[in-house]
Amino acid sequence: MSVIALGTYLPVWGTAATRVTLPDEDAVTLAVAAGRAALAGSGVEVRAVVFVTRDQPLLEGGNGPALLAGLGVAPDTVVVERLGGAPAALDAVLASAPGTLVIGADAGTGTGCGAAAALVGEGEGLELALAAREQRSLPVRARSGDGAAHDYDDPRLTRERGTRAALDRSGVARKAVAAVGIGAKDAAALCEGSAPRVPTTGASAPLFALAALADTRASGLLLAFEQAALTAVDVTTRRAHVHRVERDPQPLPQQRATPGPEIRISLAAYDRAFDAKVRLQGGRCPHCGTLALPPRHRCLGCGAEGDAELAVLPRAATVYTATTVHTPVPGIATPYTIVIADLGDTGVRLLAQVTGALPGSVAIGDQGEMVLRRVAERSGVPDYGYAFLPDHRPVEAVR
Amino acid sequence: MRRVAVVGAGMTQFAEHFDLGIKDLVPMAVTEAVESVDKVFDRADIDAAWFGELTTSDGFPAGILADSCGLLDVPVTRIENACATGNDAIRNAVFGVASGMLDVALVVGADKVRESSARGTFWEWMGLTRDMAWDYPVGVVAPANFALHVMRYLHESPATREHMAMVAVKNHHHGVSNPKAQLRFEITIDDVLNAPPVVEPFGLYDCTPQSDGAAALLLVGEEVADRYTDRPVWVRGVGLGLDRVMHQHKADMTTFPPTVKAAKRAYAMAGVGPDDIDVAEVHDCFTGVELIDYEDLGFCERFGGAALIESGATAVGGRLPVNPSGGLKAKGHPPGATGIAQCVELFEQLRGESTNQVDGARVALAHNVGGPTAVAAVTILSSERA
Repeated sequence: MSVIALGTYLPVWGTAATRVTLPDEDAVTLAVAAGRAALAGSGVEVRAVVFVTRDQPLLEGGNGPALLAGLGVAPDTVVVERLGGAPAALDAVLASAPGTLVIGADAGTGTGCGAAAALVGEGEGLELALAAREQRSLPVRARSGDGAAHDYDDPRLTRERGTRAALDRSGVARKAVAAVGIGAKDAAALCEGSAPRVPTTGASAPLFALAALADTRASGLLLAFEQAALTAVDVTTRRAHVHRVERDPQPLPQQRATPGPEIRISLAAYDRAFDAKVRLQGGRCPHCGTLALPPRHRCLGCGAEGDAELAVLPRAATVYTATTVHTPVPGIATPYTIVIADLGDTGVRLLAQVTGALPGSVAIGDQGEMVLRRVAERSGVPDYGYAFLPDHRPVEAVR
Repeated sequence: MRRVAVVGAGMTQFAEHFDLGIKDLVPMAVTEAVESVDKVFDRADIDAAWFGELTTSDGFPAGILADSCGLLDVPVTRIENACATGNDAIRNAVFGVASGMLDVALVVGADKVRESSARGTFWEWMGLTRDMAWDYPVGVVAPANFALHVMRYLHESPATREHMAMVAVKNHHHGVSNPKAQLRFEITIDDVLNAPPVVEPFGLYDCTPQSDGAAALLLVGEEVADRYTDRPVWVRGVGLGLDRVMHQHKADMTTFPPTVKAAKRAYAMAGVGPDDIDVAEVHDCFTGVELIDYEDLGFCERFGGAALIESGATAVGGRLPVNPSGGLKAKGHPPGATGIAQCVELFEQLRGESTNQVDGARVALAHNVGGPTAVAAVTILSSERA
């Protein structure tokens, strides 16, 4: 067993030190972006997905299907939703059989925002062996089902009775090549040479560290902390594919929120649209080949009824028309930009919001790709769909 | 099929009528229409009524018309066809009278847009008019509907934001003389271009205001027209056209195919063409839309809208005055009432009684487009019977 590919994703907003998300990204969309990066070109059939995070959007269920749909893997793939931080993500990799995609995602406050994914397979890659595991309770941050977080706010206690106590008990006395889940200064003190800087401190952090080790072909001890818990692994690094989706950070757009009446969700409509909407699939007529998005009962081309089959649509998109809404809209921060974009050369268009770019910075003819986003949250339900991410170019001001 | 005449027309002022409900505005418009009839008109003559209302203010629309106007013995049908509601209500009443089943029909349109908070209206409408799963989480509020078209139109045609501003300046100028108009003040090109942005490319002065109001027409069969007036206005043509509902299915967003279809039907029925139109009231909910209307209605060639507005032809005094009432832009836009109010203006134009009279107007056209730009209605009126 080895980690044969790694994918990382950082939201575009924030600073080099700390990335943040807008409401259109959550742990599921972050995980999908990192997971797709890990899978890109791997050709591996995914048999299981382990989703490690402390920021599950839906506690009662529903994350798994959205994750599988966004990743574009089979809907009967096993999904393990694992509540945990940095040690839990490493534990998940250690316990994984070939064909498992382990994704760590951080979307909350205090950890930075980002996600990283490790594809476990057979063959050359990073080999992990457990060096030590410590599981002690020191809930310096306490968060219960109601979502309210209570911070003890005592960094020295966390360092002494968390990090150091865990390390002492583990008996691991060697210097590490990377330490995550703790502050950069503390990490540097535990490492030999220059420790890799990782952008998060939660579940995605050790996977970001593995990507850094793969990049530099460094082997050695990796320490993953969370409060007073520690998982330490010996990493032997051979060639592994690393795909980073990490654009340069940019400051958040100036937007205003407007209170107002909520348009409630129809779960019947949500359910009908789910596969096409979250997998970005159109209806294809088996008689004339015409594609339609959304899929429809009666073919746009030949009028055949009830026969359409779902077909995956290209994500490459070109803007046909675009507008930016400045007027206050309840429930959507303004200004925001929407586009109608052609998907590849299929003749199929999608109406979508723009993501990852300042409002007003997209023009007719611009190219980009459709990416999974939380398009809206209605009645507490994350409504996943696709948004237009323009190809990278210099930051422009709001027109 | 027999011919149908308009013998009476009336409307309330279009405004933010915070002090008047739908049950006040509807009878006010009906009474004004009844009182506009040249000879004696007895309400008991009304055989049936059609009521165009987009939203449902204060409950059951057909009942509100019958009840508030004292017409409890009159059958009432409610019409809802997005922003084409008013002209579609006329179209349905015309069918009833033309068939011979009725002699006298009342057509009323009304809406109370300002029953909601100014910020909430577009959002509430979005919930009414969008695909529940695919459209409205994205945030295509009403102006964005049209903005997606106009942005592409500006990209492909010679029209610019300045040409859009010319529409606003013209229609505001026209509205000044109209006592029923909501916005009765002049504006300049600079005012339009420097106004706060609403939805790109529309600034504040590119947009219709949010309005309350009601309008009413009395339609009668040709055999009974002279009981009511010696100078009726004839309904020469009506047409309705539709298109794909979702924007992503509209191949060419620089045109509104529903308008083209509705106009083709109305012109054919009337036996006239665009060159015969002396005055028109067209849908200018957003300035750029009026430019596209010119082309879709055949007033100029494709992408000739910019040159037409620039030439001054569509101002009163020009070759083909458009929106002498001020249009939706200055007169206001309570959707159910809008199309009927257009015909109230044209009724007056064709009888030489408008406050902004187009000299010698004989053939007139009214037009609406809406309903995520998937429906349009056109009505052609004339002072000439055929």
